Amino acid sequence: MRKFLIKKEPPEIPSASTGDIAFLLIIFFMLTTVLRTEMGLKVNLPEAEATERLIKRRNVSHIWVDKTGKITIDDNVVDINGVINVMFLKVADNPELVVEIMADSDVDYGRINDILEALKEAQAFKVVFATEYKKIGG
Amino acid sequence: MFPKREPQKISIPTASTGDIAFLLIIFFMVTSIFSREKGLKIVLPPKGAEVKLKKGNILTVSVNPYGEVMIGDKKISIPEIKQIVQEALSKNPDLVVALKVSRKAPYKIMIQAFDQLKLAKAEKISLTPVKEE
Repeated sequence: MRKFLIKKEPPEIPSASTGDIAFLLIIFFMLTTVLRTEMGLKVNLPEAEATERLIKRRNVSHIWVDKTGKITIDDNVVDINGVINVMFLKVADNPELVVEIMADSDVDYGRINDILEALKEAQAFKVVFATEYKKIGG
Repeated sequence: MFPKREPQKISIPTASTGDIAFLLIIFFMVTSIFSREKGLKIVLPPKGAEVKLKKGNILTVSVNPYGEVMIGDKKISIPEIKQIVQEALSKNPDLVVALKVSRKAPYKIMIQAFDQLKLAKAEKISLTPVKEE
């Protein structure tokens, strides 16, 4: 015979604070997301098998080059001298800057060569050629 | 007399706020565009800093205006670059691969050639600047 009759309570996980946790997550992600404010140009990036992902997104600045050779930085159309001036200021501001060249696959290499020379002039030595993944063997 | 009315407890149901919040999280996760920051890295040399190299330590890969790739005088196809560079690297680990691309060549071809050098694990890649013709 049992001495005490233990009242069995149904087991429960407290769920009152899940909403707070979720909103905290939302706020955290909203604060840490970098919004893409640049429109850029319409480009068709070339494909490469050795494509790597960049980790530090905040240090990246883009140079867009479309099929016709038009260059924009931060949605401003610039010429080669403009590339030197703008990039020189950007590098002075942030020495860790990585320049990503978003160039169309059909542009002449001469244009890219000029941009590379301009970047050397502007002391922006870390350069990435933007590419799309290509399946190996494909 | 009327019976005394019991005061009703006022409450806003909060059981589902968590579900709403998670729904929002999932919505934003699904609609956000993942970073497009990907590509092929290269570190440029400072302007005017020319490094003298022994002739035997340079392998020149050139691309002509028609998008044809040559190593030395031999015309090769793009997928062959990887193998040739790998063989040359195994013979001489100090090898510097110079990529010389014509101004008129399409950028696409240059990237494909550069890609092959990366795949061949060539560490020292030099992009030879080309003058106006």
